[in-house]
Amino acid sequence: MEPSFLFGQFLGGLTAAMFLFLIASGLSLIFGVLRVLNFAHGSFYMLGAYLAWQIVRWVGPEGEGFWLAALGAALGVAILGAAIERLLLRHLYRREELYQLLFTYALVLVLADVAKVTWGTGQLSVSRPPSLSGSLQLLGITVPHYNLFIILLGPTIALVFWLLLQRTAIGRVVRAAALDREMLSALGANVGWIYTGMFFVGSFLAGLGGALVTPTQSIVPGMDVAVIVDAFIVVVIGGLGSFWGTFLGALIFGQVLAFGILVFPGFSIFAVSALMATILVVRPWGLLGRPIR
Amino acid sequence: MRRRALLVLPGFLALLLPVDASAQKTIKVGYPMILSGPGALFGEPSLKGAQMYVDELNAKGGVLGRKIELIPRDTKGNADEAVRVSRELILKDNVDFLVGTLTSAEGPAVSTIAKENKIVFVAAIPKTDQLTAPANLHPYVFRTASTTTIEGRTAAEIVAKWGVKRIGTMSPDYAYGQDATKAFVEHLKKIKPDVEIVDQQWPKLGEADYTPFINAQMAKKPEAVFSSLWGGHFLTFAKQAKPLGYFDALKYNFIGAGEAASLESAKTMGADYPVGIWGNSYDVWDWKAGPDAHKQYISRLKEYTKQDPPSSWPITGYIAMQMLVEGIKKANSTDSDKVAKAMLDLTVETPIGKQTLRAKDHTANRGQFWGKTVMDPKLGHAVMQEVLYIDPAPFMD
Repeated sequence: MEPSFLFGQFLGGLTAAMFLFLIASGLSLIFGVLRVLNFAHGSFYMLGAYLAWQIVRWVGPEGEGFWLAALGAALGVAILGAAIERLLLRHLYRREELYQLLFTYALVLVLADVAKVTWGTGQLSVSRPPSLSGSLQLLGITVPHYNLFIILLGPTIALVFWLLLQRTAIGRVVRAAALDREMLSALGANVGWIYTGMFFVGSFLAGLGGALVTPTQSIVPGMDVAVIVDAFIVVVIGGLGSFWGTFLGALIFGQVLAFGILVFPGFSIFAVSALMATILVVRPWGLLGRPIR
Repeated sequence: MRRRALLVLPGFLALLLPVDASAQKTIKVGYPMILSGPGALFGEPSLKGAQMYVDELNAKGGVLGRKIELIPRDTKGNADEAVRVSRELILKDNVDFLVGTLTSAEGPAVSTIAKENKIVFVAAIPKTDQLTAPANLHPYVFRTASTTTIEGRTAAEIVAKWGVKRIGTMSPDYAYGQDATKAFVEHLKKIKPDVEIVDQQWPKLGEADYTPFINAQMAKKPEAVFSSLWGGHFLTFAKQAKPLGYFDALKYNFIGAGEAASLESAKTMGADYPVGIWGNSYDVWDWKAGPDAHKQYISRLKEYTKQDPPSSWPITGYIAMQMLVEGIKKANSTDSDKVAKAMLDLTVETPIGKQTLRAKDHTANRGQFWGKTVMDPKLGHAVMQEVLYIDPAPFMD
């Protein structure tokens, strides 16, 4: 096997990993703080993709309108997410977790139908922005500029969030909310708004992921369910609620997928699923997660 | 095998049908089809084609002096649901016949219901060979769709002329993808024994990231690739493969079955389409070499659907309905046993030419349109440069 090929496979896996990290990090953040397993996270991702397509259509496919579309879509989804938390999900915190699960699952169905009614069932497509439509030769393989951008964006976002959480006052409050919401509330912090804020941020990441994926994938109904499964695998491997765990989980997922097909051709998904199952048995709280009290 | 939500359509259509008390009872035809979810992209236009045929026929007085009533039901792309609605159509709506289904899971499932109830069923789109394989064949099932054997072998006939030896395949890992690819590989090896299959990639159906498969395939340096990725799957694959230099490395020796060159796929991708590859389609709107009947069909379709260029899928429903009606005519009866017998070796002049339902396997010699794609600057998307309708009769078993 040529080294250039292995390098190409590695970069392919890395690109996939960074897309997954964008999506799974939002899921993990929301779970980490709110303890809500948001099934509708994949639906937010899908809405991000559709909104990006819609905005590109409004501003025209020429030029760099794509960036505006990506940001606009992410913001739109973030506002929707925050509104859903504030107006609906809020009422379920005191109930059993099963009700939250059922609620977010209902959201999946509702949002899928909303997308269908709005955008139809056809395949939609968004082109790569002209500034990143080229590719470069790196160690004998062709690397599209857009993939390189995604590979760099992932760690950047991870680092920014880590710094925000560890080094700022807001970060401290958020971490405190994750540890003990009652105590924080008793100390006078407005936990309600922290929750809404986290849902905003988590949904933003889902929307951004959905928007940024459009130049490399077709936008079709069903992309919500497909991605949520992968995102769950990533957070289970890394540890639910663990930020760096999610990063690690995404990296592992991407590479296992990329190299797994060389070892088990025809069983592309097998290696990843086997890995997840193994981790669930040996270390149910994930690689970097903490056992739940 | 395969995708718009028209939840209200069934009821709506029923309301639209004129009730003529003086005429004899209408002939009821159930049409189980994907009318919601991703598959509706193809299911809905297929229903339109069937409805157009029925409207035209009824305007001329129907068949045997009776009008036809088409009753569509949404299968949601699910074989269990297809079975449920088909039973309901038979038991509650008292349909005389069943026409339709889309995926290779739905077709065989509805076929068993047709067998149980002794009702003629015409499969319009499912391509799996299993549907009419000897073990599953029964007197009441017919197919006007193409088959995986026809599709794979036709592609092999085309690739055999390219002068390439190192062949790769890239197909979704489920019944349709495997069957079409197997037919391609076996036929190509037979007609051109010096070819070598250097790589076979099997991404799962609905794969979001094809990059590892693309890299792995490029590393094996095939000179040509056959693919049965269809619809949105082909779209995602091509968007990822193009910037990686995949099509350039193949010198565009890539042939996409699964309607890769259909108007639907080309239009969606626009400038992102890997222009220069080969692909197929159930129908084309500008078949210059085609019979007048096709040109007339296309102009009527444009008017009926208010689409220009019109969808490539209505033809599936149109021909399926046409075959059934010609069978009823020949049998001079709506009794399924008589119609089923009349449909054996029935030859009908369809918009795409003569189609015969072979007595041997109840399957029509349904070929597809194949061609190398070029960019049409006026339309802004890829079209087939030279449209070839390949009659599969010479290489059907």
